[in-house]
Amino acid sequence: MGKIVGGFATSHVLFPPNGVEAQAERVLDGMMDLRRRVQALDPDVIVLAGSDHLNNFSLAMQVTLAVGVADEFTTLGDSGAPAVTFRGHREFAQGFVRHASYDFDLVQAEELRPDHGMAIPRLIVDPHNQRRIVPLYINCNMPAPPSPGRCYRLGGALKAYVEAARPQGERVVVVGTGGLSHWLCLPEQGKVAAEFDEDFIARMIDGRSEELAEMSAAHIEEASGNGGLELTAWLFMAGAVPRARGEKLYYEPVPEWISGMGGVSLTPA
Amino acid sequence: MTVAPYRVHKLIQDLMRDPVRAAAFAQDNEAAFDAWGLAEPERALLRDGSPGALHALGVHPNLQMKYARLRAKPPPAGAAPPQAGGPLAAYLDRLLEK
Repeated sequence: MGKIVGGFATSHVLFPPNGVEAQAERVLDGMMDLRRRVQALDPDVIVLAGSDHLNNFSLAMQVTLAVGVADEFTTLGDSGAPAVTFRGHREFAQGFVRHASYDFDLVQAEELRPDHGMAIPRLIVDPHNQRRIVPLYINCNMPAPPSPGRCYRLGGALKAYVEAARPQGERVVVVGTGGLSHWLCLPEQGKVAAEFDEDFIARMIDGRSEELAEMSAAHIEEASGNGGLELTAWLFMAGAVPRARGEKLYYEPVPEWISGMGGVSLTPA
Repeated sequence: MTVAPYRVHKLIQDLMRDPVRAAAFAQDNEAAFDAWGLAEPERALLRDGSPGALHALGVHPNLQMKYARLRAKPPPAGAAPPQAGGPLAAYLDRLLEK
Protein backbone atom coordinates (compact mmCIF):
# COMPACT_ATOMS: atom_id res chain seq x y z
CA MET A 1 0.00 0.00 0.00
CA GLY A 2 0.95 3.59 -0.57
CA LYS A 3 0.74 6.29 2.03
CA ILE A 4 -0.34 9.90 2.20
CA VAL A 5 2.63 11.37 4.01
CA GLY A 6 1.60 14.99 4.20
CA GLY A 7 -1.23 17.45 3.67
CA PHE A 8 -0.74 21.11 2.93
CA ALA A 9 -2.78 24.09 1.81
CA THR A 10 -1.85 27.51 0.54
CA SER A 11 -3.21 30.58 -1.17
CA HIS A 12 -2.44 30.53 -4.87
CA VAL A 13 -1.64 34.12 -5.80
CA LEU A 14 1.05 36.69 -5.14
CA PHE A 15 0.90 40.36 -6.03
CA PRO A 16 3.49 43.15 -6.06
CA PRO A 17 4.71 44.03 -2.57
CA ASN A 18 4.25 47.78 -3.04
CA GLY A 19 2.88 49.22 0.20
CA VAL A 20 2.63 45.86 1.95
CA GLU A 21 6.28 44.87 1.94
CA ALA A 22 6.39 43.26 5.39
CA GLN A 23 3.24 41.22 4.81
CA ALA A 24 4.43 40.16 1.39
CA GLU A 25 7.68 38.87 2.88
CA ARG A 26 5.82 36.92 5.55
CA VAL A 27 3.57 35.36 2.91
CA LEU A 28 6.57 34.38 0.80
CA ASP A 29 8.36 33.02 3.88
CA GLY A 30 5.31 30.88 4.63
CA MET A 31 5.20 29.56 1.08
CA MET A 32 8.92 28.74 1.21
CA ASP A 33 8.41 26.96 4.54
CA LEU A 34 5.70 24.89 2.87
CA ARG A 35 8.16 24.12 0.05
CA ARG A 36 10.82 22.88 2.47
CA ARG A 37 8.34 20.63 4.24
CA VAL A 38 7.09 19.09 1.01
CA GLN A 39 10.63 18.51 -0.22
CA ALA A 40 11.60 16.90 3.10
CA LEU A 41 8.83 14.36 2.59
CA ASP A 42 10.29 13.39 -0.81
CA PRO A 43 6.92 12.49 -2.38
CA ASP A 44 6.60 10.22 -5.40
CA VAL A 45 3.33 11.93 -6.35
CA ILE A 46 1.81 15.29 -5.47
CA VAL A 47 -1.93 15.69 -5.85
CA LEU A 48 -2.56 19.39 -6.39
CA ALA A 49 -6.19 20.37 -5.80
CA GLY A 50 -7.68 23.70 -6.77
CA SER A 51 -9.92 25.58 -9.13
CA ASP A 52 -9.64 26.61 -12.74
CA HIS A 53 -10.53 30.24 -13.44
CA LEU A 54 -12.61 29.51 -16.56
CA ASN A 55 -9.48 29.15 -18.64
CA ASN A 56 -9.89 25.42 -19.31
CA PHE A 57 -13.42 24.67 -18.18
CA SER A 58 -16.25 26.97 -19.14
CA LEU A 59 -19.88 27.78 -18.62
CA ALA A 60 -20.62 25.85 -21.81
CA MET A 61 -19.93 22.59 -19.94
CA GLN A 62 -19.92 23.21 -16.22
CA VAL A 63 -17.53 20.59 -14.91
CA THR A 64 -17.10 20.70 -11.15
CA LEU A 65 -14.80 17.79 -10.27
CA ALA A 66 -12.11 16.68 -12.71
CA VAL A 67 -8.74 14.96 -12.67
CA GLY A 68 -5.91 15.75 -15.06
CA VAL A 69 -4.90 12.38 -16.45
CA ALA A 70 -2.39 13.40 -19.14
CA ASP A 71 1.26 12.41 -19.13
CA GLU A 72 2.31 16.03 -19.02
CA PHE A 73 0.83 19.49 -18.74
CA THR A 74 2.05 22.92 -19.77
CA THR A 75 0.93 25.73 -17.53
CA LEU A 76 -0.94 28.68 -19.04
CA GLY A 77 1.61 31.32 -18.12
CA ASP A 78 -0.87 33.72 -16.52
CA SER A 79 -0.49 35.89 -13.40
CA GLY A 80 3.29 35.94 -13.74
CA ALA A 81 3.81 32.20 -13.37
CA PRO A 82 6.14 31.05 -16.16
CA ALA A 83 4.73 28.58 -18.68
CA VAL A 84 6.31 25.29 -17.65
CA THR A 85 5.79 21.72 -18.77
CA PHE A 86 5.56 19.28 -15.88
CA ARG A 87 4.96 15.56 -15.63
CA GLY A 88 1.57 14.19 -14.69
CA HIS A 89 0.90 10.61 -13.62
CA ARG A 90 -1.60 8.93 -15.92
CA GLU A 91 -1.68 5.58 -14.15
CA PHE A 92 -2.20 7.15 -10.73
CA ALA A 93 -4.82 9.60 -11.99
CA GLN A 94 -6.88 7.16 -14.04
CA GLY A 95 -6.66 4.60 -11.27
CA PHE A 96 -8.06 7.13 -8.84
CA VAL A 97 -10.96 7.98 -11.12
CA ARG A 98 -11.87 4.30 -11.43
CA HIS A 99 -11.34 3.59 -7.73
CA ALA A 100 -13.51 6.54 -6.66
CA SER A 101 -16.30 5.64 -9.07
CA TYR A 102 -18.31 3.91 -6.37
CA ASP A 103 -19.33 7.39 -5.20
CA PHE A 104 -17.82 10.02 -7.53
CA ASP A 105 -18.23 10.53 -11.26
CA LEU A 106 -14.94 12.31 -11.85
CA VAL A 107 -14.26 13.83 -15.23
CA GLN A 108 -10.97 12.80 -16.82
CA ALA A 109 -9.21 15.75 -18.45
CA GLU A 110 -6.58 15.10 -21.12
CA GLU A 111 -6.09 18.64 -22.40
CA LEU A 112 -5.38 21.25 -19.77
CA ARG A 113 -3.26 24.39 -19.52
CA PRO A 114 -3.28 24.79 -15.74
CA ASP A 115 -3.65 28.45 -14.83
CA HIS A 116 -2.20 30.31 -11.85
CA GLY A 117 -4.45 28.39 -9.46
CA MET A 118 -2.27 25.35 -10.09
CA ALA A 119 0.84 26.94 -11.57
CA ILE A 120 1.83 29.10 -8.61
CA PRO A 121 1.39 26.29 -6.05
CA ARG A 122 3.31 24.00 -8.41
CA LEU A 123 6.12 26.51 -8.44
CA ILE A 124 6.03 26.58 -4.64
CA VAL A 125 6.12 22.82 -4.09
CA ASP A 126 8.35 21.77 -7.00
CA PRO A 127 10.60 24.63 -8.15
CA HIS A 128 12.95 22.37 -10.11
CA ASN A 129 10.22 20.41 -11.82
CA GLN A 130 11.25 17.04 -10.44
CA ARG A 131 7.96 15.65 -9.17
CA ARG A 132 5.02 13.96 -10.81
CA ILE A 133 1.93 16.02 -10.18
CA VAL A 134 -1.74 15.11 -10.58
CA PRO A 135 -3.97 18.20 -10.92
CA LEU A 136 -7.37 17.68 -9.33
CA TYR A 137 -9.94 20.32 -10.13
CA ILE A 138 -12.52 21.46 -7.62
CA ASN A 139 -14.25 24.11 -9.68
CA CYS A 140 -15.93 26.03 -6.91
CA ASN A 141 -16.61 28.96 -9.25
CA MET A 142 -19.18 27.04 -11.29
CA PRO A 143 -22.77 28.18 -10.78
CA ALA A 144 -23.52 24.94 -8.90
CA PRO A 145 -20.32 24.26 -6.94
CA PRO A 146 -19.56 20.97 -5.20
CA SER A 147 -20.43 21.01 -1.50
CA PRO A 148 -17.70 21.28 1.13
CA GLY A 149 -18.79 17.93 2.54
CA ARG A 150 -18.49 16.24 -0.83
CA CYS A 151 -15.02 17.68 -1.35
CA TYR A 152 -13.97 16.42 2.07
CA ARG A 153 -15.31 12.95 1.26
CA LEU A 154 -13.48 13.01 -2.07
CA GLY A 155 -10.29 13.46 -0.06
CA GLY A 156 -11.27 10.35 1.86
CA ALA A 157 -11.70 8.51 -1.42
CA LEU A 158 -8.16 9.51 -2.39
CA LYS A 159 -6.82 8.15 0.91
CA ALA A 160 -8.69 4.89 0.38
CA TYR A 161 -7.27 4.61 -3.13
CA VAL A 162 -3.70 5.26 -2.08
CA GLU A 163 -3.91 2.75 0.75
CA ALA A 164 -5.74 0.05 -1.20
CA ALA A 165 -4.42 0.24 -4.71
CA ARG A 166 -1.07 1.97 -4.87
CA PRO A 167 2.30 0.25 -4.76
CA GLN A 168 3.95 -0.52 -1.46
CA GLY A 169 5.96 2.43 -0.26
CA GLU A 170 4.56 5.04 -2.64
CA ARG A 171 4.59 8.41 -0.94
CA VAL A 172 1.82 10.88 -1.74
CA VAL A 173 1.50 14.51 -0.71
CA VAL A 174 -1.80 16.37 -1.10
CA VAL A 175 -1.89 20.15 -1.51
CA GLY A 176 -5.10 22.19 -1.48
CA THR A 177 -4.82 25.59 -3.11
CA GLY A 178 -6.70 28.89 -3.09
CA GLY A 179 -8.46 31.07 -0.55
CA LEU A 180 -8.74 32.38 1.92
CA SER A 181 -11.50 35.00 2.05
CA HIS A 182 -11.88 37.24 -0.96
CA TRP A 183 -14.67 38.81 -2.95
CA LEU A 184 -13.67 38.76 -6.60
CA CYS A 185 -15.31 41.30 -8.94
CA LEU A 186 -18.06 42.00 -6.45
CA PRO A 187 -18.92 45.27 -4.72
CA GLU A 188 -17.25 43.92 -1.56
CA GLN A 189 -13.92 43.41 -3.37
CA GLY A 190 -11.10 44.37 -1.01
CA LYS A 191 -12.87 43.12 2.08
CA VAL A 192 -11.05 40.39 4.03
CA ALA A 193 -12.83 38.24 6.63
CA ALA A 194 -9.82 37.77 8.89
CA GLU A 195 -11.83 36.38 11.78
CA PHE A 196 -13.41 33.71 9.57
CA ASP A 197 -10.04 32.87 8.03
CA GLU A 198 -8.26 32.58 11.37
CA ASP A 199 -11.04 30.41 12.79
CA PHE A 200 -10.98 28.17 9.71
CA ILE A 201 -7.21 27.69 10.02
CA ALA A 202 -7.38 27.15 13.78
CA ARG A 203 -10.01 24.44 13.48
CA MET A 204 -8.22 22.76 10.60
CA ILE A 205 -4.88 22.49 12.40
CA ASP A 206 -6.73 21.31 15.51
CA GLY A 207 -7.94 18.22 13.64
CA ARG A 208 -11.51 19.51 13.28
CA SER A 209 -11.79 19.69 9.50
CA GLU A 210 -14.77 17.34 9.44
CA GLU A 211 -16.63 20.01 11.38
CA LEU A 212 -15.60 22.63 8.80
CA ALA A 213 -16.86 20.36 6.04
CA GLU A 214 -20.35 20.53 7.52
CA MET A 215 -20.63 24.16 6.41
CA SER A 216 -22.67 24.70 3.27
CA ALA A 217 -21.16 26.29 0.19
CA ALA A 218 -23.64 29.13 0.63
CA HIS A 219 -22.41 29.77 4.17
CA ILE A 220 -18.75 29.80 3.15
CA GLU A 221 -19.55 32.16 0.28
CA GLU A 222 -21.53 34.47 2.54
CA ALA A 223 -18.82 34.53 5.19
CA SER A 224 -15.71 34.60 3.04
CA GLY A 225 -16.74 35.67 -0.46
CA ASN A 226 -16.97 33.88 -3.77
CA GLY A 227 -13.20 33.37 -3.64
CA GLY A 228 -13.50 31.90 -0.16
CA LEU A 229 -15.18 28.90 -1.75
CA GLU A 230 -11.70 27.86 -2.85
CA LEU A 231 -11.39 26.56 0.70
CA THR A 232 -13.22 23.49 -0.59
CA ALA A 233 -9.82 22.45 -1.99
CA TRP A 234 -8.38 22.75 1.52
CA LEU A 235 -11.19 20.50 2.72
CA PHE A 236 -10.39 17.96 0.03
CA MET A 237 -6.82 17.87 1.32
CA ALA A 238 -8.03 17.57 4.92
CA GLY A 239 -10.31 14.70 3.96
CA ALA A 240 -7.27 12.83 2.69
CA VAL A 241 -5.64 13.10 6.14
CA PRO A 242 -8.65 12.78 8.48
CA ARG A 243 -8.31 14.12 12.00
CA ALA A 244 -4.76 15.26 11.24
CA ARG A 245 -3.45 18.12 13.31
CA GLY A 246 -0.90 20.55 12.09
CA GLU A 247 0.53 24.02 12.00
CA LYS A 248 -0.33 27.38 10.58
CA LEU A 249 2.49 28.29 8.23
CA TYR A 250 1.32 31.82 7.58
CA TYR A 251 -1.71 34.07 7.62
CA GLU A 252 -1.93 37.67 6.54
CA PRO A 253 -5.07 39.65 5.78
CA VAL A 254 -4.05 41.77 2.79
CA PRO A 255 -6.86 44.04 1.54
CA GLU A 256 -4.45 45.50 -1.00
CA TRP A 257 -4.30 42.03 -2.56
CA ILE A 258 -8.06 41.62 -2.00
CA SER A 259 -7.36 38.38 -0.07
CA GLY A 260 -6.74 36.67 3.17
CA MET A 261 -3.47 34.88 2.47
CA GLY A 262 -2.65 31.71 4.36
CA GLY A 263 -1.16 28.26 4.46
CA VAL A 264 -1.18 25.20 6.71
CA SER A 265 0.63 21.91 7.12
CA LEU A 266 -1.18 18.81 8.44
CA THR A 267 0.58 15.70 9.65
CA PRO A 268 -1.39 12.51 8.95
CA ALA A 269 -2.63 10.85 12.15
CA MET B 1 -27.74 37.80 -7.50
CA THR B 2 -28.29 38.64 -11.18
CA VAL B 3 -26.83 36.20 -13.68
CA ALA B 4 -26.15 37.42 -17.21
CA PRO B 5 -27.94 35.66 -20.07
CA TYR B 6 -25.81 32.89 -21.46
CA ARG B 7 -25.34 34.73 -24.76
CA VAL B 8 -23.25 37.32 -22.89
CA HIS B 9 -21.05 34.66 -21.36
CA LYS B 10 -20.85 32.88 -24.71
CA LEU B 11 -19.57 36.06 -26.37
CA ILE B 12 -16.74 36.36 -23.86
CA GLN B 13 -15.88 32.67 -23.85
CA ASP B 14 -15.92 32.42 -27.64
CA LEU B 15 -13.66 35.44 -28.03
CA MET B 16 -11.23 34.12 -25.41
CA ARG B 17 -10.68 31.08 -27.56
CA ASP B 18 -10.46 32.81 -30.95
CA PRO B 19 -7.60 35.34 -31.29
CA VAL B 20 -8.75 36.48 -34.73
CA ARG B 21 -12.26 37.35 -33.60
CA ALA B 22 -10.86 38.80 -30.38
CA ALA B 23 -8.68 41.18 -32.38
CA ALA B 24 -11.68 42.21 -34.47
CA PHE B 25 -13.71 42.76 -31.30
CA ALA B 26 -11.08 45.07 -29.86
CA GLN B 27 -11.55 47.30 -32.92
CA ASP B 28 -15.34 47.04 -33.27
CA ASN B 29 -17.38 45.93 -30.26
CA GLU B 30 -20.71 46.60 -31.96
CA ALA B 31 -20.22 44.07 -34.76
CA ALA B 32 -19.63 41.37 -32.15
CA PHE B 33 -22.68 42.46 -30.16
CA ASP B 34 -24.70 42.01 -33.37
CA ALA B 35 -23.14 38.65 -34.16
CA TRP B 36 -23.88 37.24 -30.70
CA GLY B 37 -27.40 38.68 -30.69
CA LEU B 38 -27.13 40.82 -27.60
CA ALA B 39 -30.05 42.97 -26.51
CA GLU B 40 -29.62 46.72 -26.13
CA PRO B 41 -29.59 46.76 -22.29
CA GLU B 42 -26.82 44.15 -22.36
CA ARG B 43 -24.88 46.14 -24.94
CA ALA B 44 -25.15 49.31 -22.89
CA LEU B 45 -23.63 47.66 -19.82
CA LEU B 46 -20.91 45.99 -21.87
CA ARG B 47 -20.09 49.31 -23.57
CA ASP B 48 -19.75 50.85 -20.12
CA GLY B 49 -17.50 47.96 -19.11
CA SER B 50 -16.95 49.22 -15.56
CA PRO B 51 -16.91 46.72 -12.68
CA GLY B 52 -20.27 48.11 -11.54
CA ALA B 53 -21.84 47.69 -14.96
CA LEU B 54 -20.53 44.16 -15.41
CA HIS B 55 -21.74 43.24 -11.94
CA ALA B 56 -25.15 44.74 -12.69
CA LEU B 57 -25.34 42.65 -15.85
CA GLY B 58 -24.38 39.57 -13.85
CA VAL B 59 -21.22 38.67 -15.73
CA HIS B 60 -19.38 35.81 -14.03
CA PRO B 61 -16.50 37.28 -11.97
CA ASN B 62 -13.82 35.27 -13.80
CA LEU B 63 -15.24 36.39 -17.14
CA GLN B 64 -15.38 40.04 -16.07
CA MET B 65 -11.58 40.04 -15.96
CA LYS B 66 -11.34 38.37 -19.34
CA TYR B 67 -13.80 40.85 -20.85
CA ALA B 68 -11.66 43.74 -19.62
CA ARG B 69 -8.64 42.22 -21.37
CA LEU B 70 -10.64 41.69 -24.57
CA ARG B 71 -11.60 45.38 -24.59
CA ALA B 72 -8.08 46.63 -23.94
CA LYS B 73 -6.46 48.38 -26.87
CA PRO B 74 -3.00 47.14 -27.84
CA PRO B 75 -0.16 49.25 -26.41
CA PRO B 76 1.10 51.99 -28.74
CA ALA B 77 4.13 51.30 -30.87
CA GLY B 78 7.31 51.89 -28.91
CA ALA B 79 5.69 51.35 -25.52
CA ALA B 80 7.84 49.60 -22.92
CA PRO B 81 7.24 45.84 -22.83
CA PRO B 82 5.47 44.50 -19.74
CA GLN B 83 7.74 43.58 -16.86
CA ALA B 84 8.87 39.95 -16.90
CA GLY B 85 7.15 37.95 -14.20
CA GLY B 86 4.20 40.33 -14.00
CA PRO B 87 2.79 40.28 -10.49
CA LEU B 88 5.38 37.69 -9.43
CA ALA B 89 8.36 39.79 -10.54
CA ALA B 90 9.46 40.68 -7.00
CA TYR B 91 9.51 37.04 -5.95
CA LEU B 92 10.38 35.06 -9.05
CA ASP B 93 14.12 34.62 -8.43
CA ARG B 94 13.47 33.24 -4.98
CA LEU B 95 10.60 31.04 -6.17
CA LEU B 96 12.85 29.65 -8.89
CA GLU B 97 15.83 29.41 -6.47
CA LYS B 98 18.03 31.31 -8.91
